[in-house]
Amino acid sequence: MKRSSFFLFFFALFFSVLPLGATEYSHDYIVKKIYPMGEKIFKTKCPDVDVTAFDSYVALQTYIDTKSSCKKLAKRYREAVGLYLWGSQRVKKHNGPMPSLTVTHTQKCPVCGMFLYKYPRWVSMIEYKDEKRFYFDGMKDLMKYYFEHPQSIEGIYTRDYYTQKVINAKNAYFVIGSDVYGPMGDEFIPLQTKKEAERFLLDHRGKKILRFDAIDIKTLQALDE
Amino acid sequence: MSSFNRYFLEYAFAYLMRYRRKNIFIVIVFSLLVMLLATLFFISSSLEYSLEKKFTRLPDIIITKQLAGRAVPIDEKLLSTLLSIDGVSDGVSRVYGSYLFQKENYTMHIEGVSPFEVIYDPFVEKESQKLTECDGACMLVSSELQNVLRRAAFESYFHFVLPDGRLLKVAIVKRFATKRRPDLHNLAIMDKELAKEIFGYRENEATDIALSVANKNEIETVKRKIALMFPNTEVLSRSDIKKEELGLINYNSGIFLLLFIITFFTFFVIVYDKANGLSSEEKREIGILKAVGWKIEDVLSAKFYEGFLISFFSFTVGITLAFVYVFVFKAPFLEGVVAHETTLHLRDFLLEVHIDFMTLLLLFLLTVPLYIAATLIPAWKIAVIDADEVMR
Repeated sequence: MKRSSFFLFFFALFFSVLPLGATEYSHDYIVKKIYPMGEKIFKTKCPDVDVTAFDSYVALQTYIDTKSSCKKLAKRYREAVGLYLWGSQRVKKHNGPMPSLTVTHTQKCPVCGMFLYKYPRWVSMIEYKDEKRFYFDGMKDLMKYYFEHPQSIEGIYTRDYYTQKVINAKNAYFVIGSDVYGPMGDEFIPLQTKKEAERFLLDHRGKKILRFDAIDIKTLQALDE
Repeated sequence: MSSFNRYFLEYAFAYLMRYRRKNIFIVIVFSLLVMLLATLFFISSSLEYSLEKKFTRLPDIIITKQLAGRAVPIDEKLLSTLLSIDGVSDGVSRVYGSYLFQKENYTMHIEGVSPFEVIYDPFVEKESQKLTECDGACMLVSSELQNVLRRAAFESYFHFVLPDGRLLKVAIVKRFATKRRPDLHNLAIMDKELAKEIFGYRENEATDIALSVANKNEIETVKRKIALMFPNTEVLSRSDIKKEELGLINYNSGIFLLLFIITFFTFFVIVYDKANGLSSEEKREIGILKAVGWKIEDVLSAKFYEGFLISFFSFTVGITLAFVYVFVFKAPFLEGVVAHETTLHLRDFLLEVHIDFMTLLLLFLLTVPLYIAATLIPAWKIAVIDADEVMR
């Protein structure tokens, strides 16, 4: 089940790249500007368009241009809606929503006891199969807890350093030894993509990039020295 | 001190009434001083509060292109490169500026907006929703601007004079009230491309580029990167702008401080005069009281009430007057003192009632105890001497 959704994700991602080639926009421009604009237009002007009813980008875009309630808009707005729906919303629908890492005023990190509401950028979470969720003030404390209780994990989530969006920690890249300190000092800084991790390593004088599975107790202890 | 005895209070009040003219003079001066100080404090804290609110409406980073030390139009295409910086989460090119309506000698502020793009000012964002209901060149105007245009017989449209001399007709679609935002009193909101035409910008030019950075920790790093990438730009973060503007207020607080020192000095002279000693009449009065049977602490009680009555009454009057002057009449005549004319205009600030309790307490402690002490000490000096010695 997980494997096939993994493939589906890459499949959708592959197809989402296709429309990108059709315009002169860079990938960053599309993700950061066109998707949010497309989302705004979609929600206000033609929320009735169902992206799952189409099996190609071209079919979706044609429908938007000719039949939807957005057909009267200028070309670039229609383009934005099409790109957003195909590239972003479709992928999100497959993967399901990410949990929100919001904490109350009283929640504390089980490892260090610090109040979590003070560090909203660093809150990370483990969800177990029995639906229990544990929130931590950084990946370091999360890993400490993880090594004590590694069974029956449903998912581990944290925030990407640059975008502050919630990401799956198991697929993430972590940079250690940088000049960015979390509430517990030296930290595993989570980045969603390898490109981001390499950029972060350069900018903030990080020492190493690790994937989740490469983190062991020795690495954890080395961080605390 | 003996417990509260209302006869002492009555005596103190009667004593004050006996030297009516002198005490009324003291009350007037005292109130005036407190009023002056309180006015300055109220305005200062209110301005700072308004500025704090203003800073929440700013984008994280603003980039302008600089030539010969002046801001010039920036190329919108830079946005694509800027968005490739990892820390940057969103960005928009902005077009805004001022236009002088020569006939009425009135400067209006023009804000160009693009539908579905992020607008950092929530007021402008809300009002600009109404722009979508028109086609062709149209704009929204503030109430004040509409009145000015009406004076020049422009009711449903306005003719902008473009930099190349042509006239551009722009329809006036709706007006909005700017009571809550007096800094936008001369605002006109229109489509970004229309604003570009009015300012004579070329197709890809903009006034500046505003960026959002998701992780506030990264703002400084992003700033440095942009400065390296584009050396002919000025890159300002929200905290830079904050420092600059707060610095302006503090500069003008220098003048504040000067006035403060002068008024306080005057007050001190009065206090010193009082503390230096009582006139022979007053000395005799204390002697009589002691002879009649008053204990030292009774005399001091009465003197305390005397001092307290005057200072507390003057303090209350002063604070009330200052409050009315600043928050009800919005401090006319003070503009030159408080705010530097070319950068901060007092009328642009909604002087909201935001009083720092600490400032009031400070003011109270600076004046009231001082005056009471000035009344008590000489009285105590006299009261401890034997009655017959005093009356000699």
